[in-house]
Amino acid sequence: MANIAAKRIKREFKEVMKSEEVAGGDIKLELVNDCWTELQGEIAGPPDTPYEGGTFLLEIKVPETYPFNPPKIRFMTKIWHPNVSSATGAICLDILKDQWAAALTLRTVLLSIQALLSAAEPNDPQDAVVAKQYRENPQLFNMTARHWTNIYAGGPTSVWEFNQKVQRLLDMGIDEHQARVALSTYDWELERATEQLFC
Amino acid sequence: MADYYQEMGWRELEDGEQPNHLLHMARFLIDCGLYEDNFTGEWPRLPPPAAKEAVNNLKEITIEDEFDKNCPICLKKFHMNDKAKEMPCQHLFHEKCIIPWLNQTNSCPFCRYELPTDDEGYEAFKKEKKRAEQRKEDLENLHNSMFS
Ligand SMILES: [Zn+2]
Ligand SMILES: [Zn+2]
Repeated sequence: MANIAAKRIKREFKEVMKSEEVAGGDIKLELVNDCWTELQGEIAGPPDTPYEGGTFLLEIKVPETYPFNPPKIRFMTKIWHPNVSSATGAICLDILKDQWAAALTLRTVLLSIQALLSAAEPNDPQDAVVAKQYRENPQLFNMTARHWTNIYAGGPTSVWEFNQKVQRLLDMGIDEHQARVALSTYDWELERATEQLFC
Repeated sequence: MADYYQEMGWRELEDGEQPNHLLHMARFLIDCGLYEDNFTGEWPRLPPPAAKEAVNNLKEITIEDEFDKNCPICLKKFHMNDKAKEMPCQHLFHEKCIIPWLNQTNSCPFCRYELPTDDEGYEAFKKEKKRAEQRKEDLENLHNSMFS
């Protein structure tokens, strides 16, 4: 790894560790390998959002050309959000693309991703299905996001009705996550979800 | 004749009145389709490198006292007698840090202050964006003066 990249990541790592956000449990950063090319981030779901109480893990890959190019970041924890792919965890956030600036750091990027959970950008979606639900059925979107937070990120709100429907599909021999995706996609209408799964 | 003028939203000039050249220019641009009402002002990729001349003309300064500032690119602290390049926005960087960045894109990595570029397309885009903003402001002012 290029010298400047490794040196900078080391400095940033120290900065993050000393930050009040780490002290307050908002964000966390861990090393994955010894050559500083891969890290694991963690953000807390912001209060007053469907992600509240959840812990979300992020995969962070630092390119050779860092900080002249942005780190590659994706959600490892499954999440229901218009700007995150529910399948791959890919994030649509301008500062990770054409709005990157060399003075941004892992700390500011993690905080920006946390802010994205509080304020989605449905007009610039990563996941078209989620974005459509967010726009057309905000209440159902909220419940679905809360349910995913409960199941995958350790959030506190269990949605009994949704759990029942997933169980119904499990009883038919369908994989749990696949069942949840189908139900979430078809606004929790059991019939349409089943049809799609068996077509 | 009067009907045609009316239909186009035009009117004849009063005695001694000068034509409004900006207005004509705007109409011309609209007719050519250059001047879209929904000009969104987004450049679809990272803006081009800073102009060679602008980079060469960056001020070089010598740090004169021990102050608690980092170079925003390598995050190393500046020390007394260190050399630094100063952007017009007054942000300081090591030369070896800021040059590769400006060879890639034209803005301050800290505050996004933009240096000029050698890219004609991008410079035209910036002008158009400024005009669109100006036009929006003009319309708002006009609206306010008519309805308040
Ligand atoms: Zn530097
Ligand atoms: Zn600046």
